[in-house]
Order: sequence, then C-alpha cells, then structure tokens
Amino acid sequence: MDAVVAERSRWRTVSGHAVLTVLGVLCLFPIYWLYATSLRRPEDVLSLSPLPWPLSLGNYTEAAHLVDVGSLLFNTTLVSLLTALGQLLTGLLAAYAFAAWRFRLQRLCYLLFVGTWLVPFQVTMLPNYVLLLQLGLLNTLAGVIVPNLCSALGVILLRQHLDSFPKELIEASTMDGRSSWATLWTVVVPNLRAPLAALTILLLVTSWNEYFWPALVLQRTNAMLQLGLRSFMISEGTQGTYWGPLMAVAGLACLPIFVLYLVLRRHIVSAFVRSGLK
Amino acid sequence: MFVEVPAPAVVAPPRVARPSVPRRLLRAAPPYLYVAPALALLVIWTYRPLVQTAQLSFYSWNLLPTSPATPVGLDNYARLFTLPAVGASVWRTLEVIGGLLPFTVVIPVLVGLLTQRIQGRARAVYQAMVFAPLLVAPVASATVWEWLLDPGAGLLNKILGTSTNWLHDATWAQPAIIVITGWHLLGFAVLVVAAGLANINRDYTEAALIDGASRGQITRWITLPLLSPTLVFLVLMTVLLSAQWTFPLIDTITQGGPSGATTNVYYLLWDYSFHSFDAGLGTSAGILLFVVFGLVALVLVWLSEKLAFHDN
Repeated sequence: MDAVVAERSRWRTVSGHAVLTVLGVLCLFPIYWLYATSLRRPEDVLSLSPLPWPLSLGNYTEAAHLVDVGSLLFNTTLVSLLTALGQLLTGLLAAYAFAAWRFRLQRLCYLLFVGTWLVPFQVTMLPNYVLLLQLGLLNTLAGVIVPNLCSALGVILLRQHLDSFPKELIEASTMDGRSSWATLWTVVVPNLRAPLAALTILLLVTSWNEYFWPALVLQRTNAMLQLGLRSFMISEGTQGTYWGPLMAVAGLACLPIFVLYLVLRRHIVSAFVRSGLK
Repeated sequence: MFVEVPAPAVVAPPRVARPSVPRRLLRAAPPYLYVAPALALLVIWTYRPLVQTAQLSFYSWNLLPTSPATPVGLDNYARLFTLPAVGASVWRTLEVIGGLLPFTVVIPVLVGLLTQRIQGRARAVYQAMVFAPLLVAPVASATVWEWLLDPGAGLLNKILGTSTNWLHDATWAQPAIIVITGWHLLGFAVLVVAAGLANINRDYTEAALIDGASRGQITRWITLPLLSPTLVFLVLMTVLLSAQWTFPLIDTITQGGPSGATTNVYYLLWDYSFHSFDAGLGTSAGILLFVVFGLVALVLVWLSEKLAFHDN
C-alpha cells in the first residue's frame, strides 16, 4: 500500500516537472528566437537552425545605421525614470495622508483612487489629447510624462503597507516635536524601503512598456523605443530583408527590463503578483 | 473645499471651549495637503476628461479647434446602435475575452493543480520562465511574432510546411492576436493561481484525506471553492487587461484589419477618435464602454465578496 502511494506521488512530481518544463519552454521560446535571430550574421538571418552560430553583432550595427537607437534608448529611459519617480513621490505623499490621519473626505478621496480602475484609457484619451494640444505638449516627452505622474496603484499599494505600519512610531515622532513632513522622511520612509523598492520596479517596468499614451502623444516624432520600432517595421515593411535589424531593435527595447529581471527576479515577480492580488 | 471641514477627530471633552475656526482649519489641513498632488493629477487627467467625454458625447465635432462643436442630443448614441461596425466590434471583444480565458484561468488552474508538489529552487526557476513574457514590450512582441508567423520564412510555417499568413488573413488574425495576448498573460496568471493555492489552509485537505476523500473529490469540493475568489479576480483581470494588451498588438500588427477582422471595441474607439476624427462617436462609445466596465466590475467584486466567505 505504501509503495503504491509513494509510486503515485513520484509520478505526480515527475508529471509536474514535465508540465512546467513544457510551459516554461513555450513561454520563453519567442524571446529566445528574438535574440537568436538578432545575433545571427546578417546573411544567416533567415536560417532556422536552433542555435545562432556563428554569432555576430552585424544586425545591431545595421540597426544603428537605420534607426537612431541611442536617442530612442535615452528618451525611453528618461521618460520611464521620471514617470516612476513622480508616481512614487505623489503616491507616497497620498498614502501617508491616508495612513497617518483620519480626515473628513478620506473615504471619498480613497474611492477616487480606486475608481480609476474602471476608467479605461480609451474613455479619457480624447479630452486629454485636446488638453495637451492646448498646452502645447503634443510631440514632447513632457506630454508623455505629465499625465502619468500619479499612479492609483502606487497609492493603493503603499497605503496597504502603511496601514500595517506601527502608528506608535509616527505618534512618538510627533510627540518629539517633529513636523509631519520630517516624520515622513526620517521615520516612515526608512522603514518602508522594501515595499518602496518593489513598487519602484513595478512602476519602472510598467512605464517602460507603456504603449498607448506615448503612441498618442508622439504621433509625429516617434521618439521612444517602441514607437521607433513600430515606424521602422512599417516603413521597411516585413518583406524579409530587415528581420535582423528589426529583431535587434526589438531586443534592445526589452533588454533593460530583462537585465533588471535577471538581477531582481524574485522581487519583480512578487511585486507583480501581489499588486495583482490586492 | 476647506471651509466646511471641522476639527480633526480629536475627542475633546465637551466642556473645553472649541478652538477658533482658523486654528481648526490649520489642524485639519495637513492630510489634504499631502493628498493634494496625487488627487489633483487624478482629477485633471482622469475625472475631468471623463466628464468632458460625457459632455462631448452629446455633440458633433471633428476635433479641429477652429470648427465649433454642435449639440446633437442623443444622435451619437443612436448612431452607435445602428452602425453595424459597432455590433461587430462588441462581438469581437467578447471573442477576445472568451478566447483569453483559457490562458488566464483554465490552463493556470490546471497547471496549478498539477504542480502543487513542486517546491523550492526548481519552482522558482519555472516561475521565472513562465513570467518573462509579461515583461516583453508589446511592440517587441509584435515584431517577433510577425517574424515567427511570417508566411514566407517564419518558423511556424516552415515547421508546418504551410504558407499561411496567420496575422494578415481574415480567418486567422483574430485568433493569432488572442494567442499572442494569452502568451503575455499566461505566466502571470499561473503565478496568481499558485499564490492563491498556497493561501489555502492545508488543514482542510488533510482533514478530507483522513476522512477518505479522493484527490478528485478534494479538488472539486475543497480546493476549487476556496480558490474561487482568485478565479473571479482572474476573470476581472482578463476583462480589464484585454483592453490594455490587445491594443498595441492590433495597432502595430493589423491596424484593426484585415477588413475589420481584429477591430474590437478598444480599437474602434481609437479609430473613431483619431482616424475618422468623429469626436461624438468616439466619446459616446467611450461612455458606453465605461458603463459596461463598471457593471462588469461591480458584479465580479460582488461575486468575489460573496465567495470569500467560504474561508471564514
């Protein structure tokens, strides 16, 4: 009897590994193929051999001739850093207000943050586009950043962390005569490093991969990586000759995030899953 | 806004004289000041446009600052209900959501149940592998899938020995978009299910095992009911994320085509506003989308709260 049970549980473990291996390979394959193609020699791009050999950076140099990769990378980095930083700051201040005080319009304010979930981009895009036009921010990087400076998700996640933050620490600090501003930076923030770091990663990845808003604002300049890639794809067409450089640009558009992922894998996964669960 | 705000929730003994009005205002101000930047951004970039969208939906306007918007009453809404493109796009949106459910609910649950035993380092490696597609920039994904599915030299057609134009053929384009979106979201959903399963108290299943329940019975009567809030969340996520993830793929790969085969509601809204420059039609469709989203979310949140009682 025990032998049967043991046998069954072994089988379950083996089949579990098999399922996950198949799934993992299926998920990773397109990413692998992207980089594999980009690293082939330009004359081998259409080859279907599973390993890109001999390796070459030829597609990357050709891509650099065709597309201004450097400035696209710079712009995208700038936009996602500034967006994430702004969202972090506004989110921290708002979450602090919700956690450290009880105030009259608290519930209403909080509901306004939660409510943004229900407003899809497509509903607000037109008036926002018109406002950016009036402000003269169309086709500027500022036009991409400014409307995204507040992340409701950031407020909600930080509030949940702050709710479990020991109130005694905040009270003790105010008793000592410190202002609420000083309390925030000397007591709250140092004790909130881990969630703040997780949120920063989440916001960085999200704003790096954001497509809709930049596509709307930068219609003429295409000055960010994904937009540059899209206009490259549309202008060169997908007639076969440009697969190498296209894969090179696409690879570069994902590379910073993947490097971050390799270093901070566990934090990134848990930041995404936890943000989803709450 | 500040005028009517009373003193903060200090429980003052009634006999003590209340502090003067300016003093009370000063004491009530800090939380509002801290919440102000985020709230202002939210009002300017989410709620103001929501209201304006509602207003614009009663006007006819071609987006040109020089031409005036003329009020047309409910005409835009009436047009929405008569345009065949609208009905077709709603249907395609439902197809997208329905087509995504296997990727975001069915497969993740199956995988979660089959692989509960795998723990430790191996599990972390698998999780890292399946999660990666969520981090791929959508346009990069569009590029690599164009290449994989290329009718001439693409890997899939070479393997199958066919030359199907998966992404630009009216039959295949919509399923292809669904599969690509599903590929992005699958790993994330697997991890959400895994987290949901890990939260289920082991005592229930062990008690059932001692009572002689079979694996299938445990899954059917204990695990799945306890997992139901997670499942409701995944459905909600599918509905909300379908808008966000299909759009860049459609905009880069098919532009809604071929002959409208991939034009779902989200793309149609974009098309009306920024290709046809029909602000009235775009905004009225947007308002309807907002209402439907709200109803769906309400039902699902209500459902998940109802189901959440299971664990108590």
